[in-house]
Amino acid sequence: MRSKSRWLILSTILATGATPALAQTQPIDSARLEAADQNANDWLTYHGSYKSFHFSGLDQINPDTVKNLEVAWMHFPGRTTRGLQSMPLAADGVLYYSGSYSRVFALDGATGKVLWSYFPELNEDLIAQQTHSPYNRGIALGDGKLYIGTVDGRLIALDLKTGKPAWDTKLINSEKLTVGFTGAPLFVRGKVIIGSQGGEWPGRGPIFGVDAATGKKLWEFITVGGTDEAMKTWGNDSWRTGGGGGWMVGAFDPAANTVWWGTANPSPLYDWSGADWQTKGPRPGTNLYTSSVIALDPDSGKLKFYHQELPHDAWDFDSAVGEFLMIDRDGKQLVVHPNKSGFVFVYDRKDAKLENVWRLIDNINFVKDIDPKTGELVGRRDLSEGKVAGVLCPAIDGGVSWNTGAYSPKTGLYYKIGNEWCISLEVVKTTPITEPMAQLNIGANFKLSPPPNGPIYGHLDARDPVTGAKKWEVRYPQPPLASVLATAGNLVFVPDATGILHAYDAQDGKELWSHNDGLGHVGGIISYAAGGKQYVAVATGWGSLVGDDYAGVFGEPFKSMPKDAGALIVYSLK
Amino acid sequence: MRRGAISRGLAAALFAGAVPLIPASPAAGDPAADGGKLFATSCGWCHSQGGRVAGKGPKLAGTKRSDEFIVNRIKTGKQGAMPGFAKTFNDTQIAQIVHYIRSLKDE
Repeated sequence: MRSKSRWLILSTILATGATPALAQTQPIDSARLEAADQNANDWLTYHGSYKSFHFSGLDQINPDTVKNLEVAWMHFPGRTTRGLQSMPLAADGVLYYSGSYSRVFALDGATGKVLWSYFPELNEDLIAQQTHSPYNRGIALGDGKLYIGTVDGRLIALDLKTGKPAWDTKLINSEKLTVGFTGAPLFVRGKVIIGSQGGEWPGRGPIFGVDAATGKKLWEFITVGGTDEAMKTWGNDSWRTGGGGGWMVGAFDPAANTVWWGTANPSPLYDWSGADWQTKGPRPGTNLYTSSVIALDPDSGKLKFYHQELPHDAWDFDSAVGEFLMIDRDGKQLVVHPNKSGFVFVYDRKDAKLENVWRLIDNINFVKDIDPKTGELVGRRDLSEGKVAGVLCPAIDGGVSWNTGAYSPKTGLYYKIGNEWCISLEVVKTTPITEPMAQLNIGANFKLSPPPNGPIYGHLDARDPVTGAKKWEVRYPQPPLASVLATAGNLVFVPDATGILHAYDAQDGKELWSHNDGLGHVGGIISYAAGGKQYVAVATGWGSLVGDDYAGVFGEPFKSMPKDAGALIVYSLK
Repeated sequence: MRRGAISRGLAAALFAGAVPLIPASPAAGDPAADGGKLFATSCGWCHSQGGRVAGKGPKLAGTKRSDEFIVNRIKTGKQGAMPGFAKTFNDTQIAQIVHYIRSLKDE
């Protein structure tokens, strides 16, 4: 009902030639955000809604009509170093998105006309020292503002109608720690929550809560040794340089008023302690709360509960990646969260008690298994100094990468990209870094390598999100790195690494349509409506710490693919 | 021989009145081994297999680049491709990394 009235207003304004930005629409407040999955026209949060389904309820584009899908308009943000990696958002017919260097645009969703833009002035000297930079992975909307982080450690709020800065808050001393923000913020009931970069960086990975109205920092949760309990899990004061940033956006459970967030691996990535990791090496102990899923009170920033997916992660398999699907089944309220290791964890939403753990990928040998009841890592492969025999699987690039899968409540299937690749590795006993400083802390030399039984490849799986039962699979010679979109039109869109955007039948995986965007994809994809018409918007442009390996491994088209270009390409039906 | 090349480069730089790129007396011990530890700490992610093969960054073993070029590249990086490490490593450490790179066998 509310949605219909909004469309009446919008239609009237469009008919009179006014721009969507001037429309008198309902504010994007907590109530609207918490009901986002009930309004198919918008895409209000990074994960589509707080349920994190990456699902659009629009169905004009479907197996019967998708053959008529064509480019409606494009927008070039410029200075697209390492590709366009962000997830666009859409509200009331306006599309909002961010590019590298935290450039922000508001565009007419039907035509691409620029309504406003904002280019923050950043510390370029600092950016020149950063490895995980200058891309930006997304924005948040709420209470009349748009929120974006910067790689020089700031969180900025812009007026949603004008793009003028409302506040600009420095949260991290990036000049000292090198890290800043590349992940999207999350708007939760008048607060903006954002996590800093940092797994391999010697910091303490804070997650911040900021007052959306004023920009005042309300709280800071330190993911490395942030509680008395956690401090005891870092031997030799190694908590001082533990890594653990929450570098991708989390999710929100409105019923419990709980924020779910994933944290990065500890620093250094690899250590030489072998089986003696509880007492020896550069970071003895389980290293709480790294490679964990944590549940925070958004009002206080206090920890409610957690599950450490990989105690003493010795392989760089973050929990920071991955969506938090809020699935209700058989009277249970669950959260489904993929870990970079290629295992998918299923939790009870009220306390993060494990319900299941299943494998998305085939090539896993860093453990023999993870107990689906207890979460225990069975047959850990802890590494000692020197060359590691054979290959370690999956590769440091992850069995899953940072971009998201999608869940369709219509098919009940979870569509997720898995990567089959490994590394050959030599662990080096490096000099421990004992003070937070600008220094990447890896502790090994390695090379991307094929799995033991065949070449590298990636696959889109359609699975039951709770049991992991697979219905179908599509394979790609080069693992896709972009996000996946599912729609009520029974389609699944996959932007692949080579530049092809694919549309598959959500029921059986049959390819129904494809188009070459001319550049690889490493960013987001959404669907929204403007003027009563469905659009699909996809970020293009190649680069990233994962994608940079593709030229050497796969040759063309990556060998000649620019890493300083990208565009937002928007499709609609003829 | 390789260390000799570094020393000759240093001598030339000093003769020209330039700021020395590679300190005449790097830290005690084996500078290439120390450089190897630094390399595995901060460089090995992009320069695959310890710089022995091409990966995200180029292969470094057998590089024909001059010491001056390598030192400058480590300090200032390359926009959009490699960060600068001028504030991470001091001149002695950068010299150790150069020694490590020169010690790699070009296989």
